[in-house]
Amino acid sequence: MADPRDEALALAELALSLAVEAGATDADASVQITDRFACEARDREVTKLERSRGRGLAVRAFVGTRRATLTTTDLTRAGIAALTRRAVAAAAFVGDDPHAGLPETVASDGVCDHDLLTVADDVAERPDEAKIDEALGMERAVRDADVRIANSDGSRVRDAISSWALVNTRGFRGVTQGTNVSRAAAPVALDGTDKRIGRYGTAARGWSGAEGTSAVALHAVHRALAMIGARKPPTMRVPVIFERDAAAAVLGDLVAALNAENVAKGNSWLAERLGTQIAAPHVNLVDDGRLPGGLGTAPFDAEGTPTRETVAVRAGVLEAFLSDAYWGRRLGVPTTGNASGGGVAANNFFLQPGTGTLDDVVASTERGVLVLDTIGFATEYASGTYSRGARGIYIEDGAPKYALDQFTVSSTFGEMLAGIDAIAADLRFDGTIVSPSFRITEMQISGG
Amino acid sequence: MLTGLEPTLLTRVLARALQRGGDFADVFFENRLTQAFRLGDGRIHEASTSVMRGAGVRVVIGERAGYAYSDDLDEAALLRAAETASLIARHGRQAAGVADLSPQAAPALYASHGDEPADSQRYVDLLARADVAARGFDPRVAAVNAFVTDELQYVQIASSDGRLVTDRRPLVALGVQVVAKHGGERENGYVGDGGRTSIDVFDSKTPETIAREAARIATTKLGARAAPAGEMPVVIGAGGGGVLLHEAVGHGLEADFNRKGTSLYSGRVGERVASDLVTIYDDGDLPGERGTVAVDDEGTPGQHKVLVENGILRGYMQDRLNARLMDVASTGSGRRESFRVLPQPRMCNTYMPSGTSTPEEIVASIDRGLFATSFSGGQVEISKGDFVFMVAEGYLIEGGRITAPVRGATLVGNGPDAMTKVTMVGSDGRLANRSYTCGKGGQRVPVGVGIPTVKLSACTVGGTARG
Repeated sequence: MADPRDEALALAELALSLAVEAGATDADASVQITDRFACEARDREVTKLERSRGRGLAVRAFVGTRRATLTTTDLTRAGIAALTRRAVAAAAFVGDDPHAGLPETVASDGVCDHDLLTVADDVAERPDEAKIDEALGMERAVRDADVRIANSDGSRVRDAISSWALVNTRGFRGVTQGTNVSRAAAPVALDGTDKRIGRYGTAARGWSGAEGTSAVALHAVHRALAMIGARKPPTMRVPVIFERDAAAAVLGDLVAALNAENVAKGNSWLAERLGTQIAAPHVNLVDDGRLPGGLGTAPFDAEGTPTRETVAVRAGVLEAFLSDAYWGRRLGVPTTGNASGGGVAANNFFLQPGTGTLDDVVASTERGVLVLDTIGFATEYASGTYSRGARGIYIEDGAPKYALDQFTVSSTFGEMLAGIDAIAADLRFDGTIVSPSFRITEMQISGG
Repeated sequence: MLTGLEPTLLTRVLARALQRGGDFADVFFENRLTQAFRLGDGRIHEASTSVMRGAGVRVVIGERAGYAYSDDLDEAALLRAAETASLIARHGRQAAGVADLSPQAAPALYASHGDEPADSQRYVDLLARADVAARGFDPRVAAVNAFVTDELQYVQIASSDGRLVTDRRPLVALGVQVVAKHGGERENGYVGDGGRTSIDVFDSKTPETIAREAARIATTKLGARAAPAGEMPVVIGAGGGGVLLHEAVGHGLEADFNRKGTSLYSGRVGERVASDLVTIYDDGDLPGERGTVAVDDEGTPGQHKVLVENGILRGYMQDRLNARLMDVASTGSGRRESFRVLPQPRMCNTYMPSGTSTPEEIVASIDRGLFATSFSGGQVEISKGDFVFMVAEGYLIEGGRITAPVRGATLVGNGPDAMTKVTMVGSDGRLANRSYTCGKGGQRVPVGVGIPTVKLSACTVGGTARG
């Protein structure tokens, strides 16, 4: 079969010329072609088997300083031509916007930067049968691990190989490729008449870099068993430790407030805080778009800007928002190479790790709560209020005592960042927003 | 716009899909055009046009499903997808064969919508009116962001048992987000409306009404007290409070979790799961509502379903695969985000019918508690049933009266536990005037929720207030 990178580039070139033909004075076009495989096993059966090649085109057409965008999965010439005409016609109804336009600088042409390690060769090489066997193996592993594991929501193994081409009317031509894989398990433990599900998954660029099937299965089992006998805590103010996945979810909420689009829209509590101390002095938050092998790594962002390392918070001081060209112009700051699918997104965002293990942090906590999992999502970026449902472990005298559920953990982002008083070293790059475990001096626990 | 594939082609694709065996196979075709405009900083800053077009082929054998899709609609590409989907049935039993396809029309449940999006000027005018209305509401309104989307989705479902159904689904939404500022304080308010209709609906649900409501919520929260923390009686507001039913009960009644035995409601049909004041319906057939499906994404007509009746669990929401395994009929609940993914049992419009108490009586019955008038979202963990809701607008109740607005409240609890604590149900049941989208297994679908004013005798409120 032809190289999908060639097909992606040819389709992007076609779309760009059709956009110009339709009346765009400037434009960019990107095509993504992804080969996806997914399988799921439950008990001894393969319950799902999916394999497809998906293609998608995105065009941004500028008519002067008016912007219109289109996305489509109809990649016929006639389909692209009709849609570009429709998009360019719609641009006439957009207001004149002096900030609209392509980025000033783009990455050098034809980038395919092998140092970024976005492609793992073992993904294309692995046969589907091997992946199916892994899913079945994880099912056996979770059921064999402990007699209290009575059921499973299924074990999943997936991979994808993506080819992506981006071209624009200023002469930029970029083509790149990336792979990713994931393994996940979801055993259910019986706790009297209650069911406790434990979910754990891992992701990486390639199979050799990902946590193995038995590690994933055992971690998921541990999560299910850890919640057995959980009770509702009393309402109290105590130190709170976020285990690394829960910590990453906190950073995910923080990234929304660092997103230049939210800042420009007035929808961020950080809007007027640039250059000020927003966190404890040992807090450093970094987005690195060029982290070798990172899941969010690429040579250039969605509008062709070279990716880079951005220190958002250095020694507790807010230094930069994450931005693309447009929202950066609205704020009067340069793009940080974080354009993504029509918006702004983190590339590889993380809290710089500290020292020691999660167990060390627990051992140094006289009385507090270890949060293993949060539920609910942020909407209060404007006010900076934080409140989530949580599950976790009660800690006394530096040791885990019993499991907790049906409580919320609340504060404001400002108090949380200022109150980070311990950071472990357990950072893993298994997502695009990741964190080591950390402790916050005091938060509100609402329970019984 | 292409509205479907040739029946003869569909028959060949289905036959290829079943070549290795299988209980049934189906093809889902979709062609969806969406036109959207966005406003911010007082101007329209983006027009966007989007097409999702493609087809997916599924083979089902017992609890196993094979799936492949293609955005290329040539026969060769579709047969390749069928070939891939058939791999699930390797070493499988003999297939049933493909019955003659007999075309059926979906019931008419949507308001009329043209074949093309409206004149662009109409969308732009709606957003400009929203902007003016929000800014004029209060000088503390600092930013207004708004969008309007107009979508027309053609679906065609062909199944090896002879089903051939088409549906033509419109969906419009107008959303306004307002940020209000006062001193160093910043609060937001969001309201959205729409449904399976055309943008003519905004002649009656005016952009001014939507924008002022968003501005009212944002400005009300300025100066609001921090939400209290701890267990207390909670009043759930009519309409938007319906998120409670969606999370606390609805997801746990989706058939996949119950067939696998991972839901806390598994095997409990006929048992008491809520107080006798609680009745919950999920309707796919409410005309024009956001969660309505004339037929679901497997071609089964949307229908009225009784989930809970006077506190007794009556049934689950079924798609074809799970219904076969549980030996019941599909309830028209098989929905999917697009042709790229398998259908799952999902909710449509989930609501509780009216009871007999007045909202005033309900508030007056509480000495100290929280009135949660609407939620910005929620989430549930279906195996144990623990849920959380983010309160978008909330007030303190003191001495039987609503006193002060609070901010940053969440509710946390357990589904069946909360449902046994429903002690009063209001006479003011209605659907929410907000555009909710439900996520499950990475798939997002539009849904509706509704509820009358309801009292929970106790619920944990997660707030930040000290003491």
